[in-house]
Amino acid sequence: MSQLIISVGREFGSGGRVIAEALAKRFDIPIYDRHLITEIATKTGLSAGEIEKYNEMPASRLVSRRVRGFSNSIEDNIAEMQFDFLRKKAESGESFVVLGRCSETKLRDFDGLVSLFIIGDMDKKIERVMKVYELSQEEAEHLITKKDKKRKRYHNYHVGMHWGDSRLYDLTINSSKLGIDGTVDILENYIKARIK
Amino acid sequence: MAAASIFAVIIFVAMFLLIVLDKIERHIVTLGCGALTLIVVFGICMRSGKAILGTLAVGDFFKKDFWYQVTESESKGINWATILFIAGMMVMVEGMAKAGFFRWLCMKIAYMVKCKTIPIFITFMIMSAILSMFIDSITVIMFLAAVTIELAQLLKFNPVPMILSEIFCANLGGSATMCGDPPNIIVGTSLGFSFFDFLMNTGLIAGICLVISVLFFYCVFRKEIVSESSANVDMSKFPKPSEAITNKKDFVTSSIIFGIAVILLVSHSATHLTVASIGLFIAVITLITSGKNALELLKKVDYKTLLFFIGLFVVVGGLEETGILEYIAQFIESISHGNVMLMIAIILWISAIASAFVDNIPFAATMVPVIQSLAATSGVDISTLAWALSIGTDIGGSATPIGASANVVGTSVAAKNGYPIGWGKYCAKLAPATIIVLALSTVYIFVRYL
Repeated sequence: MSQLIISVGREFGSGGRVIAEALAKRFDIPIYDRHLITEIATKTGLSAGEIEKYNEMPASRLVSRRVRGFSNSIEDNIAEMQFDFLRKKAESGESFVVLGRCSETKLRDFDGLVSLFIIGDMDKKIERVMKVYELSQEEAEHLITKKDKKRKRYHNYHVGMHWGDSRLYDLTINSSKLGIDGTVDILENYIKARIK
Repeated sequence: MAAASIFAVIIFVAMFLLIVLDKIERHIVTLGCGALTLIVVFGICMRSGKAILGTLAVGDFFKKDFWYQVTESESKGINWATILFIAGMMVMVEGMAKAGFFRWLCMKIAYMVKCKTIPIFITFMIMSAILSMFIDSITVIMFLAAVTIELAQLLKFNPVPMILSEIFCANLGGSATMCGDPPNIIVGTSLGFSFFDFLMNTGLIAGICLVISVLFFYCVFRKEIVSESSANVDMSKFPKPSEAITNKKDFVTSSIIFGIAVILLVSHSATHLTVASIGLFIAVITLITSGKNALELLKKVDYKTLLFFIGLFVVVGGLEETGILEYIAQFIESISHGNVMLMIAIILWISAIASAFVDNIPFAATMVPVIQSLAATSGVDISTLAWALSIGTDIGGSATPIGASANVVGTSVAAKNGYPIGWGKYCAKLAPATIIVLALSTVYIFVRYL
């Protein structure tokens, strides 16, 4: 099989992570999400906790500055390390699934890239978050808004276009309509058609 | 004129805010604001073609004074001498970096002190200051921080204190000469000072402060950088300095060109060659000697910074032509009640505080006409105000991680190698060092010039 890179962007609570894991399993390729943190921790000697603190966080423009591609912001540097890691993996010819990390844009130049964005109906997302995180309806709604806001800021900070804008992705799908398994089936068929 | 002044201020404030917010690349911000200044302030409000031509200052290229200057002269509008000089030095530095000069120098010094951590710590601080006197601090720190981390991994010491000290000394070294830091080039070319004028004034201040800084950093950091293996260093495992040289011929050539640049700069008040001539000459000989690599070197030049300068000078020209900067000068004079000490303290400390948080280049470019006006109205020697401005803008930037370019590059190189430096860690040691050096400089200026 030629190189396959599946980039999965997702709204919080849409089941994007579970879908990405299922796709990785079906195509028998590794998934990079938390693994990126471990990899960078090993490479730099930082603790996973330290990296987690700055993971997928946009830098504050008021306390950070960029000079010729260098940035004083730790968030920026952690993000750059993750982008470099993904680019190197892609350049090595490896096939993998990656969650978030602006991968739909950062890996756009690779022919094997299939970029997906998973959305969901708000009521279904709340229901799922309440169940997974054992939260009240209000808390779940608050968490969804907070997490999506963070992902959006992170994405838009590093990429010129807006997070979730359908023009950035090959396919945007609402996981609430067919459920997780149904969505995975559709995506599997789509990816198979793409790599034929 | 009132409308022109209002628009000039609005454009200037908008430019500053957009630079701080960093949403749009800064050269686009200054060029856009520069175009607005030309159209709205000079064209629509003032209807003055003379102001536009004066600010664009293209005629400067055809003046003998621009290339060969016997008597000191001041410039207005776009400071093409600054731009040409910076461009020339950029070409030269790219040539030196490509040949492996900086890495070779760092490794050579580490070898000379037998790879012992404390001697490396002290010599690297001094080297950082000396190199920054002639070369932009971004390049100096980029190489020095990378080698420091490499040595730290081999010798097993924490490189963060060393990188922080190198950053501080790079900014300090930059304040010593006319070409060390962009604010000094702007001050020097705008007010007609020579390399030697800076060396004998800000250079002496920087020299004294360097001694104090080395002692300060030695006292606060020595325990942190003691190496686990400092007692027994096996130098055979270290990369040899000669391995850093990518091409021997290019290395020798770039070293000679650097030597020529230093000689030309040190002697330019005697040879009467301006920094514009020196910049152009250095760029041309670097390109000629690099042969087929010339295009590659030219491509690496940071054009964005040069465009940033052009736009910036136009916007500041708008404030100058509309008389806003004279108001600021009058304001400084009135709050200091004619007290020269207070006036100097205000210029030095306000410049330092501003430079700790915002880019010191636009600040210096704005303040040059202010101190010119202040000197004319208050009778204070312009050179004293110029040294206060240079020291304030150059050294104030050391206080925070965003105050100067070297700080950003140094902390970025450290973070990418697993040594993140947040605001807390940075400011805990470098903010006190900055305050000490600024206080010392203030006292020095009072004692020597008043």
